[in-house]
Amino acid sequence: MLKLHNLTRVYQTEDVETLALNNVNIEIAQGEFVAIMGPSGCGKSTLLNTIGMLDSPSSGDYIFNDENVAAYSEKQLSVIRKKSIGFIFQNFNLIDELTVAENIELALIYHNIPAAERKSKVEKVMDKVGIAHRAKHLPSQLSGGQQQRVAVARAVVGDQQMILADEPTGNLDSAHGQEVMEMLQALNDEGTTIVMVTHSPAHADYARRTINLFDGHVVTQSVRAAEKTA
Amino acid sequence: MFRNYLITFWRNIIKNGVFSVINIFGLAIGLMSCILIMLFVRQESGFDTWLKNHDQLVRMHTTYSFPNQEVFDTVRSAGSMMPAIKNYAKTEIETGVRFIQFNMTVRQNEDVFPEEFTMVDGSFFNVFDLPFIHGSKESSFNKPMDLVITEEVAYKYFGKSDVIGQTLTVCCVAGNTATLTITGVIKNLPNATHLNTDMIVYLQPALFSDNDGMLNTWTSVNVYTYFKLNPGVKITQLQQRINYWLNNESPLTERFAKDAPSGTVTEVFQLKLMAVPDLHLQAKRDAGSMGDLTPLGDRDMIITFIIVAVLVLLIACINFMNLSTAKASKRAREVAMRKVLGASRTQVAVQFLGEAIGLVFLSLLFALVAVELVLPFYNDLLGKDLALLLFDSPSLLLILMLLAICVGIGAGIYPALYLSRFLPGQILKSSKSVESKSSVKFRNILVIFQFATSIILVISTLVVYGQTIFSNNMEVGYERDNKLVLNIQSAGDNLASLKQELLNLPEVTSVTFSSEAPSQDNENNDGFMLLESHEAGIANQSLSMNKYNMGYGFFEAYKVKPLAGRFFDENFGTDTIKTAAKGEMGQASAVINSSALKKFGFSNAQEAIGKTLATNIRGKQHLTIVGVIPDIYFRSIKFGVRASVYTLNPERFRVANISFTTNNMANLINDVESVWKNNVPMQPINLQFLSEMMAAQYHDELTTAQLFLVFSLIAIVIACLGLYGLSAFTVERRTKEIGIRKVMGASVKDIVALLIWQFSKPVVLANLIAWPIAAYLMLTWLEAFPYRMDAIWLVPICLGVGLLSLVIAWSTVGGNAAKVARKNPIKALRYE
Repeated sequence: MLKLHNLTRVYQTEDVETLALNNVNIEIAQGEFVAIMGPSGCGKSTLLNTIGMLDSPSSGDYIFNDENVAAYSEKQLSVIRKKSIGFIFQNFNLIDELTVAENIELALIYHNIPAAERKSKVEKVMDKVGIAHRAKHLPSQLSGGQQQRVAVARAVVGDQQMILADEPTGNLDSAHGQEVMEMLQALNDEGTTIVMVTHSPAHADYARRTINLFDGHVVTQSVRAAEKTA
Repeated sequence: MFRNYLITFWRNIIKNGVFSVINIFGLAIGLMSCILIMLFVRQESGFDTWLKNHDQLVRMHTTYSFPNQEVFDTVRSAGSMMPAIKNYAKTEIETGVRFIQFNMTVRQNEDVFPEEFTMVDGSFFNVFDLPFIHGSKESSFNKPMDLVITEEVAYKYFGKSDVIGQTLTVCCVAGNTATLTITGVIKNLPNATHLNTDMIVYLQPALFSDNDGMLNTWTSVNVYTYFKLNPGVKITQLQQRINYWLNNESPLTERFAKDAPSGTVTEVFQLKLMAVPDLHLQAKRDAGSMGDLTPLGDRDMIITFIIVAVLVLLIACINFMNLSTAKASKRAREVAMRKVLGASRTQVAVQFLGEAIGLVFLSLLFALVAVELVLPFYNDLLGKDLALLLFDSPSLLLILMLLAICVGIGAGIYPALYLSRFLPGQILKSSKSVESKSSVKFRNILVIFQFATSIILVISTLVVYGQTIFSNNMEVGYERDNKLVLNIQSAGDNLASLKQELLNLPEVTSVTFSSEAPSQDNENNDGFMLLESHEAGIANQSLSMNKYNMGYGFFEAYKVKPLAGRFFDENFGTDTIKTAAKGEMGQASAVINSSALKKFGFSNAQEAIGKTLATNIRGKQHLTIVGVIPDIYFRSIKFGVRASVYTLNPERFRVANISFTTNNMANLINDVESVWKNNVPMQPINLQFLSEMMAAQYHDELTTAQLFLVFSLIAIVIACLGLYGLSAFTVERRTKEIGIRKVMGASVKDIVALLIWQFSKPVVLANLIAWPIAAYLMLTWLEAFPYRMDAIWLVPICLGVGLLSLVIAWSTVGGNAAKVARKNPIKALRYE
C-alpha cells in the first residue's frame, strides 16, 4: 500500500538543523497493523506525519497506492489524505465548540456528502464505538476515553483505507487504553490498515509488526510471534 | 458546511466572551462614528439638489480687487447687473431673478413677530420652481406685493394652510405699516437648502426709486442675483460671456478699465458664477465676512471629518485584525484538524473571512442602535436635524451593507490568510506557540499605527481648542464685559427718550449709539482723500477705507485710549456730519485707526491730527481728523483688521451700546425691556449680551473643536480596548515564563514592570511618529489665522499628550499584568 524509500526529513530553525528522519526505508501492506516504537525524539511522530501526508520529506520517495507523493504540494496531499487516511491523536484534537456528532460529521463535510447521508453515517459510527448516547455533548463534558472514542469514530466515518494513531492511549488510563486498542484491533480485522506510534510494549503487541526507530533511522523490525486475542 | 461555520462562529463568540465584547464594541463604535459623519456629510453635500432643474441654476458673486485696496468679496451683486446680463446673454440665460432680504415685523392682535421677508422679481418661480400647496406659480405671483408663504408660516399665523386671500399686517414698507395679501402657499423648504425664503414678496421697484444703492446701481452690492441657464448651456459658457461683456461692452468697461494695470476690467472687478448646489459648501470662498442667506458649510471641514471617520474606522479594524491574529494560536488546532479532515486553505480562509463579516454585521446592528441613541446630542452639537431613516433611504441601507462587507473583508483578510496558512503537521506535532516572529512584529506595527493616529487626533483637538480660546480671549483693544447691545433700527424718533430712560436705570452707566457693535461687521467702504501733502505721505488720492459711525461717548464707554487727539465731543459742536446741499461743502470730524494712519503714510499719530479728509457722505464733506485710536478688532480676529475711519452720522445709528454694573442679569434685562416697551411698544426688542455675540463668532471653530474632541476620545477608547485585549492575551501566553521568573525570585512588581515596559515601547514609538506629523498639520492649519496662538505651545501639548498616552497604556495593561503576576508560579508552570 505504501512504501518509503530513502526518506529523509530535516528541520531547519534559525541556527539549528535537526535530522529527524535519516534514510528511512519502510513498506506497509494493505490491511497490516504496524506499531512504531522508539525513545523520545527518535522521529516517530515525524515518520507518522510523513506517512499521513501532514508533512513532506526533505528527500527520498513516498509511494502511496502507486503514486509518488513525496514532492506533492499541500493541496495535492490534502486531496489524497482526506480520501484515504484517518487520524487519531494522543490529545484527541476534538474541536471544543462542536458536539460529539458535529465533530464526527466534520470529517464528511469536506467530502461534499449530502446532509441526509452524513447524518446516517454519523449515527452508524457512533453506535459502532458506543458513544451515541453522548451525541449532543461537548468534548469538555466527556472523559478522556470517551473523547478518544469520538476521535476513532471521526477517523473511520469516511471509510478511510488507513488509520494513523499517534500514541492513542498516551493520555488514557489502562482500562480505557485497552478499550481503544480493542477498537483498533476490530477495525484492522475489518481490513483497515493501522499504523500506530506507541511507547507501550503491551499495546505494540496488538500490532503484527513493530518498527523500532532510533535517532531518525530504522534499527529493527520485528514480527509478533502469536496472534493477540481479546 | 454553512451550518457548521455558523455554529462554530456563534459558539466561539460565546466562549471568548471578553474578546468578543471588545471586538464587537470597538467595531460598533468605529461604525457608529462613521455613520454619524456620513449622515452629516450626506446632508451637507446634497444641499439644493432637491430643486427642480438644479443643474441649470447659478448665482452671481462679486469681487472688487482694485490695486492698493483690500480685496472685497461678496456673494451679492449690484441691482442693475441682472437685467443687463439677462438681456445681453439671451442665448445662455433663460431667466434671472434678484432677491432683497428684509427684516420686518408681522403684527397679529397685540403681538409682534420679527420675520425675514424676501422681495424678489416676478420671475422668481420660473427660476425656483417650488411646489405649491395652494395656488400655483401661474396664478399666485403676478403683481407687485403679492405674498407667497410657506405652510409653516401659514400654520403659525392662521392655524391652517389654506390661507389664500388672508392678509398680514407688516411693518414697515416705505416707512409705513402695510397690509399684504397672501396669494399662494408653498411646501416647507427642506433643511438642505441655502435659501431662507419663508415669505416671498413680489418686488415693487417704486419702493426703491429714491435708494440708489439697491436696484439701480452698478456698484453697490445689495441684492442676490440668480440665473437659470438654458438647457445644455455650461456655466463656463455664461462666465465667458459675462467676462467679455465686462471687458468690452458694459457700462463699467470704461470706468473700471482705467484703474486696471493691464486695462482689463476683470483684473479689478469680477462677476463670478457658482452653481446653486455648490453654494452651501463652496460659497465661503466668495462670502467675505458678510456671510450668506443661511450659515455656510465648509468643504474643508467636510473633508477633514471624512478623514477622521476613515481613521476611526481604520483603528477599529486594526483592533479586530490584531485581536483575531492574536487569538489565532488558540484556533490553530481547529484549523489544523479541519485541514487534516480535508479542508483546503481556501475553505479555511472563507470560513474565517465569513466570521469576520458576520462579526461586522453584528457590530453594525449595535452601531445602528447607538446612532439612534446618540443622534439627539449630535444634532444639538452641530445645530442640525439629521435622521437615520434607514428604511426610507434604500441607498443608505445599501451603502451600509457594502460598508459592512468591505470592513469585514478589510479587517478579516489578514487573520483569514494568516490562520489558513497553518500547516497541520507543524501544529499537531508541537505544543509550541504557532506565532511567528513576523506576525508579532506586524501586530506591534498595527498597535503603533493605532496609537499614533489617536495621538495625532488628540493633539489636533487641543490645538483647535487652544486657538479658539486664544481668539476669544485675544486683546481686542476695547472692554467687552458688561455690555448689552440693543438694536434701535425700529425705534424711529424715540431715540432721545429711550436713551434718557435707559440712563435712569440704576444698573446702567452709559448708553452710546453706533452703526455697529463689536462682532457686527459691515462692508461699507468709502473713498477718503487726504488733502494736505506731507513727507512720504499719500495726498490727493482717494483711498478706500472701511467706515463706521460712532456716537458721543462710544470710545469712552469701550475704554479705548486715543493714541493722539480726542474723541467726538458734544462741547465742540463740530463733530456731527450734516447733509451738505449741492455746491456746498460740509464740515465735520473723523477719528482714524492705526491701519488708516499707516495707509495715509503718517509716521506718527500726532502728525495726523488736524489734517483734512475729503469724502462724500450726505454730500461733499471735509472731515478734520480729531483723534487717532489703536486698531480695534470689531470682527473675528480671523479676518484681521482694516484701515478704518470713524465718523458721527446719526442717520446711520443702528445699535445702542449699554454699559452696566450689576450681577443681577434677569433684573437688568427686565428693566431694559420695560423701557423699550414704554418707548417702542409696537416693535419686538432685539437685545443681546456683547459677550455672547462675540463668542458666537467662533461658533464654527468651537463646533469643530468639540467634534474633534468627541472623535479623538472615541479613537482613544477603541485603541485602548485593543490594547487591553492584546495585553490580556499576551499576558496569558506568557504565563509559563512568568511562573519561571517567579520561581527564580522575581517579585510581583518586577513582573508588572516587565509587562508594562513591553507595551510602553510601541506607545513611545507611536508618540515619536505622531508628534512631527501633528505639528506639521497644525502649524499649516494655524497659518490661516492672521492672529494665532504661539507655536511653542505645541511642545507642552505634545509632551502632555505623550505622557497621557503612556498613563492610559499602563492603566490598561497594568491590571491584567498584576493579576497574572500574583498567580502561584506552580499553577503557571503546570499550565503547560
